[in-house]
Amino acid sequence: MTSGTAVAPNDEATSVTEGRRGGDLSRYVLRRLVGAIPLVIGISSIVFFVVHLAPGDPARLLLPPGGGDQDVIDQIRRNLGLDQPLHIQYVKWLGSFFTGNFGYSFSQGAPVRAVLANTFPNTLLLSGFALAVAFGVGIVVGTIQAVRQYSAADSILSVVLLFFYSMPGFWLALMLVLMLSYQARNIWEWPIWFPASAMVSSDFGDLSSVGRLADRLWHLVLPATALSLSLAAGIARYMRGSMLEVIRQDYVRTARSKGLPERLVIFKHALRNALSPIITMVGVYIPMVFSGTVIIESVFAWPGMGRMIFDAIGARDYPLVVAGTFFFALTVVLANLLADVLYAIADPRIRYESDV
Amino acid sequence: MKNLLLVFVTASVVACGGSEAPRNVSSDPFCQRVIPAVDAWLADARIAHPTPDDDRYGGTVVVGTNGEIADGMNAAVAADYNATQHHQFVNLMTLIDFDDEYEPRGYLAESWEFAEDMTSVTFRIRQDVFWHDGEQTDAHDVAFTYLAVTNPETAFPNAAFWSHYVPGEAGVEVLDDFTVRIRMRPHSMPLDPFRTVGILPEHLLGDVPPSELKQHPFGSQCPVGNGPFVFYTHTAQDRWVFEANPAFPEELGGRPFVNRYVYRAIPEQTTLLAELLTGGIDVYVQPTPEQAQNVLDAEQLDLRRFVGRSYMYVGWNARLPKLSDPRVRTALGMGVDRQSLVDGTLGGYGRIANSGVPPFHFAFDADLESPVSYDPAGARALLEEAGWVDRDGDGVRENAAGEPLEIVLKYNPHHLRQAIAEVMQAQLSEVGVAITPQSVEFTTLIDQIASTRRDFEGVVMGWNAEFRLDDTDLFRSDRIDQPYAFSGTQNPTLDRLIDALSTAVDEDVSRALWVEYQRAIMEEQPYTYFYFRDRLVGVNRRLQGVEMDVRGEWTTVKDWYIDPASP
Repeated sequence: MTSGTAVAPNDEATSVTEGRRGGDLSRYVLRRLVGAIPLVIGISSIVFFVVHLAPGDPARLLLPPGGGDQDVIDQIRRNLGLDQPLHIQYVKWLGSFFTGNFGYSFSQGAPVRAVLANTFPNTLLLSGFALAVAFGVGIVVGTIQAVRQYSAADSILSVVLLFFYSMPGFWLALMLVLMLSYQARNIWEWPIWFPASAMVSSDFGDLSSVGRLADRLWHLVLPATALSLSLAAGIARYMRGSMLEVIRQDYVRTARSKGLPERLVIFKHALRNALSPIITMVGVYIPMVFSGTVIIESVFAWPGMGRMIFDAIGARDYPLVVAGTFFFALTVVLANLLADVLYAIADPRIRYESDV
Repeated sequence: MKNLLLVFVTASVVACGGSEAPRNVSSDPFCQRVIPAVDAWLADARIAHPTPDDDRYGGTVVVGTNGEIADGMNAAVAADYNATQHHQFVNLMTLIDFDDEYEPRGYLAESWEFAEDMTSVTFRIRQDVFWHDGEQTDAHDVAFTYLAVTNPETAFPNAAFWSHYVPGEAGVEVLDDFTVRIRMRPHSMPLDPFRTVGILPEHLLGDVPPSELKQHPFGSQCPVGNGPFVFYTHTAQDRWVFEANPAFPEELGGRPFVNRYVYRAIPEQTTLLAELLTGGIDVYVQPTPEQAQNVLDAEQLDLRRFVGRSYMYVGWNARLPKLSDPRVRTALGMGVDRQSLVDGTLGGYGRIANSGVPPFHFAFDADLESPVSYDPAGARALLEEAGWVDRDGDGVRENAAGEPLEIVLKYNPHHLRQAIAEVMQAQLSEVGVAITPQSVEFTTLIDQIASTRRDFEGVVMGWNAEFRLDDTDLFRSDRIDQPYAFSGTQNPTLDRLIDALSTAVDEDVSRALWVEYQRAIMEEQPYTYFYFRDRLVGVNRRLQGVEMDVRGEWTTVKDWYIDPASP
């Protein structure tokens, strides 16, 4: 991305403006939410049929290798309702979907609802932290680069960002494990090192409330870092471009000519305006974060939904795959809506545009 | 933007706040009923059976593997290795177990007696074993379990276990509250299923229809066992936590030494190794051969090694004309240096297999000379004898009809299986056979080989051998349409031996038959057997009392203790 290029407000954001023209943001939000219902049901239905079309029989996977005969496989299929025609299974799935039941996960041996209730919050926690870190780091680094354009710092940061942007998440995650967990503790004997996996320590239950909070944050560091670094690199590039465009505007020049300190010019006058296009990227980045969790959760043994869906696909655990996809789709739709609303709130020009 | 960041950070911190209970308790009514009962019983048991005054008692031991206990604790519907290990040694109890010479000894059953004609076995059940909700374990639980696993509607995964037993009500009789008789037809190793299948609580599962046992929350959400460890919590894809059972019978060793046993599922093996090296886990089950050296190099760790039950092989589709001749299949084995694979890909942690009879089996014959020892010249000669000659000089042999000896060899993405496929490709090209390795996703591959389409020519696959071997489902002619008889073997000699083996009660007779069977398999070559892979386990030296062998990694888990002198 070259300097001076900013992210344009997307079409959805423009429609927010139209929605606000009537002065009723909540009606707009409601309309978007109602519109999202057929969308996510449609996505889930497509996924339902696609996963059923994939070759492979989940009943066979429940048998030991080399054991079992066709009668047992057929009985397992009957017990799990897999013997029924696909359209009947679809109708049953729709029924369970509307009752919030979502069926039974035969790979996890538990109702899908319970599986999701246990894993979805974990993925949200990891994703939320990673997004916060990615945007925080990306905005700060991008701003520094823009303010110090063509300086040594700008060049060095560009190379570093390119490195993290180019590295596969899987490799980066393993390097973090090796360096900040194993090497830091065993070889370098640093006072601070981070656990290689899990959300909590084995003695979590014995810790105080403060200890538990610290333990969870301690376990978040590596996966959140692995998930956020490449995102932060991308955001920093966008931020650099946006900031460069803003600091060349007349009002920034005016602020400087008034004799305002540079810090005030950047942080009070330029930053807010440069951030507007970045906000819309939340909607774009949330699906990217969710995609990233599939790998990151596996490397760090994080009991989240990304890893769960990945494993469920291998096990042909149809109900879990479909329900998991539904929740991911729903989250992405909501995130896009959130980004549009935030964009309208954050950018005063949008607010007044309809009155021009 | 500051507001936006604040929203994310606040939401995340709130979400990870210290208020989360360290225990997942299912909202299912069954769990809501049984978990408080277990908690109450455990609290009482701790008072009634105080921990002995010994430094070895206490602490938490963490075992890490790369897979979940997929089938949970419901022994009526579970078959995977990790699950059965936990039924046998952790949460449930089996009627018998094996001593360190693999001889049966009493466990939940204090004794047993066979009828003279070997048509029944009568078990006498211990009277000092209690379910973890306080109910006594008795013969009715054994009868209930037997009825459940032999009921076709349950779909017990290892159906072959019960092929010689009388199913249903006619097969089991409760003689008194602690004596139960099981009826069967005379056959070899009749106690073996009772070593593997954990007994289940009738008072909790007795009213569950057999077809619904698989879905019942008992399995993965709130199991109630009677073994040395009491279920505490399970977080899917993360961990199972068990606590010591203070009331475990003294005669069986009494309360486990550790207070808490944690099983962790960590899918990435590099992470597993890092956790072992940094003390996050105490035991790493099955590190890769490359990682074994890392374990050996770490002074705080110990590498355990024992012969494994699983063997790797290439299965050939003998239904295809080009693979129907045993001489061709034999030549394919002769053209591959299997020892180099054991040395190269397993780091020597394995041994060549010549049949599915494992080295720990009583009838394993190490002196049998394999017809598929590495011999490229012999392979060439055998292929020529079978009519496969390179007629056009392109380096690939053809039959009389001019069809080239080209074989697609499928494998699922796994580095060891890929190595076999690629080594076969390289080495068999030297004898004029064109192997094309093809990677196929595991579930799809199973579908291709096990469905009636038999959509494969050769496949790299692995099986687990049990103590009681039975190749009926693999090689008996009348099973040819069954899912795992994909080799298409139809050999009257094998049929005769399989039948004779399954009913041979006398061990000497059985041993002779097994030797004959191993020879017959070597001649038939339905598979090119590659190797038995050793089980490797990385163990932190702070953990003492760890004995592992082919019975499994968890065999002595109740005897593990943390060295009081360790930091």
